[in-house]
Amino acid sequence: MPNSRLYTLKPLTTLAPPSSSRTWQTAPHPTLPIVATACSDRSVRVYSLTSFILLHSITGGHKRSVRAVSWKPGTKGQSVLATGSFDASAGIWRREEQSSNEDDFTNRRIGGAEDEDGRDDDDDYQFSCILDGHESEIKSLSWSPTGQYLATCSRDKSVWIWEELEDDNFETVAVLQEHDGDVKCVAWHPEEDLLASASYDDSVRLYREDADDWVQVCCISGKEGHGMTVWWVEFEGSGMSKKDFRAQQEGLSDERLQHIERLERSGPRLATCSDDRTVRVWRRTPRDQPNASSNTGIPSIIRSAAIDEDWYQEAVLPQVHERAIYSVSWSQTTGMIASAGSDGKIIVYKERWKQESNGVDAQNGEHMDVDGAHRAEPQPLTEWVVVAELFSAHDVFEINHVTWAKRADKGKRWDGEEVILSTGDDGEVKVWEVFEPPSP
Amino acid sequence: MDDKDNANPTILNPSDLPSRRSQSAAKARDDGGSGLFDDLIPRYNYLSDPFDDPLSDSDVDGDAVESIDEQEIYDLISTISDPEHPLSLGSLAVVNLPDIHIHPPASPLSSISTVVVEITPTITHCSLATVIGLGVRVRLEQALPPRFRVDVRIKKGTHSTDEQVNKQLGDKERVAAALENGTLMGVLRKMLETCE
Amino acid sequence: MSDIQQYLLDYDRNKKEATETAQKSATRLKDGQLKLISLVTDLGEYLNSEDGPTRAKTMSYLAEVLASTPQKVLTLQQRNLLCDFTLSRTEDTEGLGSCAKALLALEELGKWDDVRVVGIIEALLTNTHPLRQFKQQSERYPVLRLVDTLMAKYREALREHNESRPDFMSRFIAYFDGEKDPRNLMMVFSILRVPMTEWNIGADAQELFDAVFNYFPITFRPPPDDPYGITAQDLKDRLKDCISSTADFAPYAFPALLDKLDSTSMNTKRDVLQTITASVAEYGPRTVSLYAITLWDALKFEILNVQEEDLAQEALSGLAAIARTLSQGTSGSLNAYLRPIIKECNEHLEDAPTKQSQASARILQKIANVSAEVTNTLLAGVLPTLFLLFQTADTMAKRRGLLEVLVQLVRANIEVYGDWRTMGPAGDQAGNNALSQFRDQALEVMLNGLETAPAKEVSFRLVCLDGLLQVSKARQLLSDEHVGRIIQLLHVIVIHEESHGKNEVKEAAISGIVEIAHQKPQVVVDKAFPAFLAQLPDTNADGSRAYSTVLEAFAKLASEEQVFDTVLLRLKNKFSAAVSQGASSEYIVALLSAILYALTKGEGKLSQDSGKSSYYTDIALPLLQRASSSDASHPVAFDDERTLDLVGRICNLIIRSQPTEQQNAVAAEVYTLFRGVPENQLPPFKWDAAPETHKTMIVSTHLLASFRKDATLPCELQFLVSSLANYAQQPSLSIPIRSASLRQMSLVINKYYTSAALKTCMDPLIAEFDLFNSDKLDPPRIRIIFACLKGIVLRSSPVLSTLYPTLLSLLSHPKYGTTVAHGFSTLLQPDDLLTKENHCQILGLHKHKSFALLVPSITKAFKEADPQTRPNYLIALSGALRWMPFDIVVEEVNQLVTLLLQSLDLKGVDAVKEAAIGTLMSTLIEKPQVLEEHLNALISRLLTNATSKDKSSPPAVRVAALKALTLVAEKFKQEVVLPYRRQVVKKLIAALDDGKREVRGTAVRCRAKWLSVDEEDDE
Repeated sequence: MPNSRLYTLKPLTTLAPPSSSRTWQTAPHPTLPIVATACSDRSVRVYSLTSFILLHSITGGHKRSVRAVSWKPGTKGQSVLATGSFDASAGIWRREEQSSNEDDFTNRRIGGAEDEDGRDDDDDYQFSCILDGHESEIKSLSWSPTGQYLATCSRDKSVWIWEELEDDNFETVAVLQEHDGDVKCVAWHPEEDLLASASYDDSVRLYREDADDWVQVCCISGKEGHGMTVWWVEFEGSGMSKKDFRAQQEGLSDERLQHIERLERSGPRLATCSDDRTVRVWRRTPRDQPNASSNTGIPSIIRSAAIDEDWYQEAVLPQVHERAIYSVSWSQTTGMIASAGSDGKIIVYKERWKQESNGVDAQNGEHMDVDGAHRAEPQPLTEWVVVAELFSAHDVFEINHVTWAKRADKGKRWDGEEVILSTGDDGEVKVWEVFEPPSP
Repeated sequence: MDDKDNANPTILNPSDLPSRRSQSAAKARDDGGSGLFDDLIPRYNYLSDPFDDPLSDSDVDGDAVESIDEQEIYDLISTISDPEHPLSLGSLAVVNLPDIHIHPPASPLSSISTVVVEITPTITHCSLATVIGLGVRVRLEQALPPRFRVDVRIKKGTHSTDEQVNKQLGDKERVAAALENGTLMGVLRKMLETCE
Repeated sequence: MSDIQQYLLDYDRNKKEATETAQKSATRLKDGQLKLISLVTDLGEYLNSEDGPTRAKTMSYLAEVLASTPQKVLTLQQRNLLCDFTLSRTEDTEGLGSCAKALLALEELGKWDDVRVVGIIEALLTNTHPLRQFKQQSERYPVLRLVDTLMAKYREALREHNESRPDFMSRFIAYFDGEKDPRNLMMVFSILRVPMTEWNIGADAQELFDAVFNYFPITFRPPPDDPYGITAQDLKDRLKDCISSTADFAPYAFPALLDKLDSTSMNTKRDVLQTITASVAEYGPRTVSLYAITLWDALKFEILNVQEEDLAQEALSGLAAIARTLSQGTSGSLNAYLRPIIKECNEHLEDAPTKQSQASARILQKIANVSAEVTNTLLAGVLPTLFLLFQTADTMAKRRGLLEVLVQLVRANIEVYGDWRTMGPAGDQAGNNALSQFRDQALEVMLNGLETAPAKEVSFRLVCLDGLLQVSKARQLLSDEHVGRIIQLLHVIVIHEESHGKNEVKEAAISGIVEIAHQKPQVVVDKAFPAFLAQLPDTNADGSRAYSTVLEAFAKLASEEQVFDTVLLRLKNKFSAAVSQGASSEYIVALLSAILYALTKGEGKLSQDSGKSSYYTDIALPLLQRASSSDASHPVAFDDERTLDLVGRICNLIIRSQPTEQQNAVAAEVYTLFRGVPENQLPPFKWDAAPETHKTMIVSTHLLASFRKDATLPCELQFLVSSLANYAQQPSLSIPIRSASLRQMSLVINKYYTSAALKTCMDPLIAEFDLFNSDKLDPPRIRIIFACLKGIVLRSSPVLSTLYPTLLSLLSHPKYGTTVAHGFSTLLQPDDLLTKENHCQILGLHKHKSFALLVPSITKAFKEADPQTRPNYLIALSGALRWMPFDIVVEEVNQLVTLLLQSLDLKGVDAVKEAAIGTLMSTLIEKPQVLEEHLNALISRLLTNATSKDKSSPPAVRVAALKALTLVAEKFKQEVVLPYRRQVVKKLIAALDDGKREVRGTAVRCRAKWLSVDEEDDE
């Protein structure tokens, strides 16, 4: 199998100092070279991606594990962080970024960040408000791309959408109770106010606003779906066709060009991972003529069926994980997917045009055919292959989260280079360099 | 005054529970003796002459590795006490040696082994099945090196809602949250107190 | 100024002087200087004072005067007058306490007549009822004492008064209503107990009962600095006595108590159960029979669903008490009580083995203990069902459960009737023991069970075996044939059965035979011995070693002194047979081992008839001759040093209890061993003697060990010691022989030198080969030095204070410093030859002495020593500490800690590390505070040693380190260890994956301990 593993992951470093207990998730800042890590010791640790050391430790806000963190996009002059905890509450934290790119060593406080008293220092993250409402552990939260909405989900089976009216005044705009089990993860569509949620009830659901009322527009479950707990959902980046394998267009067959075009109309796809040890990619059936109800000025009271969406499984990625997959991440620049989970492996997948002659692939049965047979496309034109498989990324420990992030340290090899961040039960956040094969 | 699910379970006798053969029996003596006479001559007098080699007197079979086996797993969890009876899971036959399995790493490149424990609740609707399962899982996560993944399941057909229970016990996140719940943790502590 | 004025003046200023004034008045009264009448009249004006306190003090004055007035000073009339006067004062609400004191004083001065007594009690009841209106405990207390005195001294009068005044009792009871003070309550309880036990209280029973039961359960907790030392238990006991005092209470007591039994407080339940047991014992059969069933129905729950073990115990003794009381009454009521018990237990037997069936067994056992009658009834009631169930039982588990009950009943039966050797309380009626009707059935079931059940049914067979053992003990139950059958089955198991699991059944079978041998020695000798011996070949030409188990079992029998001699005799015969038949050395060694084992078991017997017994001539002497002879009588096995060691030990055990004169015969031949060769031709005096003669030095060592201090050695001491010293240095010697000769030196020096001679005992050696010269130092010399010291140390001779420094100076020796260092662990090491039993001189404080002389100087020297030799001091230190009782070490331990910690960094000296960790552990247990400041260093070093995979710390050390680490978590306060928790818990993960199971186990325990060191949950 190694022969097909063209890429290699090399450990670049471990963010220091690591937490002494389990870490759950690490969120890269939308613009600054920093990340926030949710820790089971009830704190959030903010590390620098330039120096890889701890800048701040946000403590005292939560009474239980911090399970999830999310940076608010598009904030000017300040960083806004939302934290979700097993104590059933979500917290909002702010820090003025006095034009500081985190590189100036003056305001760095290594380890010293641990201490409580650090908090009255305005250089530090200020607790600004708390969002109460969930009955039990919050498991995930996410800001919408515009920063207008914050979605949270919990073991209480509900998904809440909050809207920030003005400074720290949050209003609950929706409580969605479609799931019959813990809601494990929420994620926003990069271009539309479309929200996806994944659950212990094995289903994935999508919601959007219809006549200022949030409703479920799609549910992927049953034999269509994973059939076991779905741990993570993530949308494909915006406009990826300009960046991933599709970018190279000259000389492509019409068939392939049509495929690209149809994919454009479907919009960003959705990736999910599950206890069933699979990563799957879902795609929206494009609407052929622009939908009527959406642009008539008159909001219809009765919920129009027209708003329902149809998402179907485009691909099941090659199955190389041996245990539950907890996290999957979709690169915004290369369109590659990384996944990690209980077996301690990190897997990287790449989509590519399927060779015309099936003979070529025979030597590695790794890739899976797109199962869209009954759909518009008779023959799948692309395939996902595993390009890197890394064992024991966190020694023997489980990996709870994996994500792509812009590289920002001195060693950066080119602009927009990405690294992979993995977050493990050992309390460590590891940074991985991705080495591509020498281009042929 | 008795609201227990099963106030009166059958109890196994310690002598019948599976156990590692006691050391003396373990070193299979070709003569079938028990080594009764071995200590007649105190070991320390004749051959301990510290003047001959001041070097390390490490034990002879220092390198013989005794790897973790099913019996060891059993010994770790059979002494957990049942939350409602002052009895051990072993003596209640909630955990049984044949229902413990260790699976070695799936690939030479991986170091992850898996322990699968199937528990048998005292009766099919035992409401505490989840707590017991949680106790077993917690005990093993505390006592086994992290290269082991612990899967605790209700034995097929021994419990009315085994599927739900299994799914809960399998859910890392729920278990983690449970362990942050003071009251539940109290119950577990009590169960694990009897572990030696 | 009159005395009373004086008294009043002083009273608040200086109570002592006031009292003296009162005493003065008393004396003047006695001497007639003061007329009683004037004394009383003087009081007048103050008694009429408006001011209450003044009136009170005045009475207190009178009381004190009377208290110090001697007998016969006051006439009867005067006393009567004073009584009346004082009683009149009880109408005043002030000074009641003093009135009571005054009356008590008067009572002391002369007995009262019945009228007076009644008068007083009535006055109190009229004027001061209810007593609680007096808020001062000090006021009420004297009154209670007064009443108590009346109750004690004038019972008749008061009883009659009570009869004559129907309303008296209720007034009397109500008088004490609402008393709260513990001291007063003690009084009240003892006062009320009189009417309870002695008066006819029929109608007032309930009132009386309520009066005391109101206080149930006692929840009083005495103040930390309670000067009166009244405990809650005192009150509980008095109260219990009251409740259990009369059967008249039964109708109220039992319902009330049983009601409280449902309480959720364990303490309340405990009090209830104890009170019930007490009451049942007191109320008598007639009354108890009325409530027996009700009580059973209530108490059984405490046993069937145990909440607290001790409550179950209480309940059991309650049930037993009922049976005991009822056995004093009609058999009808007893049976009426036992019937439901039998019924219920039988029901529980049906689903044995369960908590319930086990509980039933406990109940039956406990009750059956009570008397022959009860036992018989229960047996007759339970056993038929039990056997029936047994026949129809579908599982082994169930059968086991049933037999467990049976065994309990048999045990109880033995406690009632006794066993073969000792008669029980009902031993004389053993004839009509109901058990005999079930004897054959029981035997059949258990014999069969033990014989036919598959080997894996360990617990079932164990129960059968235990049961058989019990019935064979039961007094006059089984015939010898029966016992014979049992023994037969047992030895079949011992001899022929495949070993299985932990061999629990085999073990049990062997100890079973031993136990039966205690009851019926002859049967064992007749039945078991032949069977065993039949399995012991005279020779094992075929080289088979099947005999081992049998031999072990047979040797074990020697621990029963009834058969000790026989066992020994048979073994001896086997041995001689084996030798003459040229059996394999293994077999011969095995037989010798068996003999030695038997002797150690029967040592008590050896010393009893020392001198008379023939053990020496029968066993020791022949062995010695075989050992030394070179002809056919000398088996090949005897050329092996270990065999000779066995021989030596056998002889040692036999000879050491002999009187000196008999020992001298051997002492003379200690080296020649009856060879008939002159001593100087043999070791240790002749180095190049024939090789085989060297080996017998081992035997000589054990002989030397066995002699008394006054036995005469074959040669002069100095000569012997230096010969031995010379001999021991011969490079040709095998390790055992060398060690033997060195130990001879220790023995000789310890036993035979006078204290004076001891001071110089090493001089000849020093003179002869300049022993302590560091240039000539080498291992052989070092051995000799320590051999001599070992003998001297035990006598803690003053010479040590010169020898030790010399020894310590050798630690810095570049080449052999380490070797010397390792020697220190041998100095105080327990030695199986240098013992009191071997007549060695061992002074109580010798370890203290060595500690005082060694440890401080080692620590001092360590600080000055240069880096290369430093480890030597650490090694020496832990060697010295290794066998040191901690109570000696503890004083100095503060100074040692840093050194101990450093020795944990040493490489490749595991014994040292173990010792160091050992001392640290004792420190953690006895005196953790000294380690608190070193906690960081301690924890990190322990972690390193616990988790290091390399040779630097072998399993033993890793285990020790983990145990110590566990102690750290246990011994220090939460806040002290909490900071280390995360680090430790994380580091220990490595130990969880240790290659050694034992290490892992310890690691798990240690880690669990540390995990439990947790922040209080903050929610």
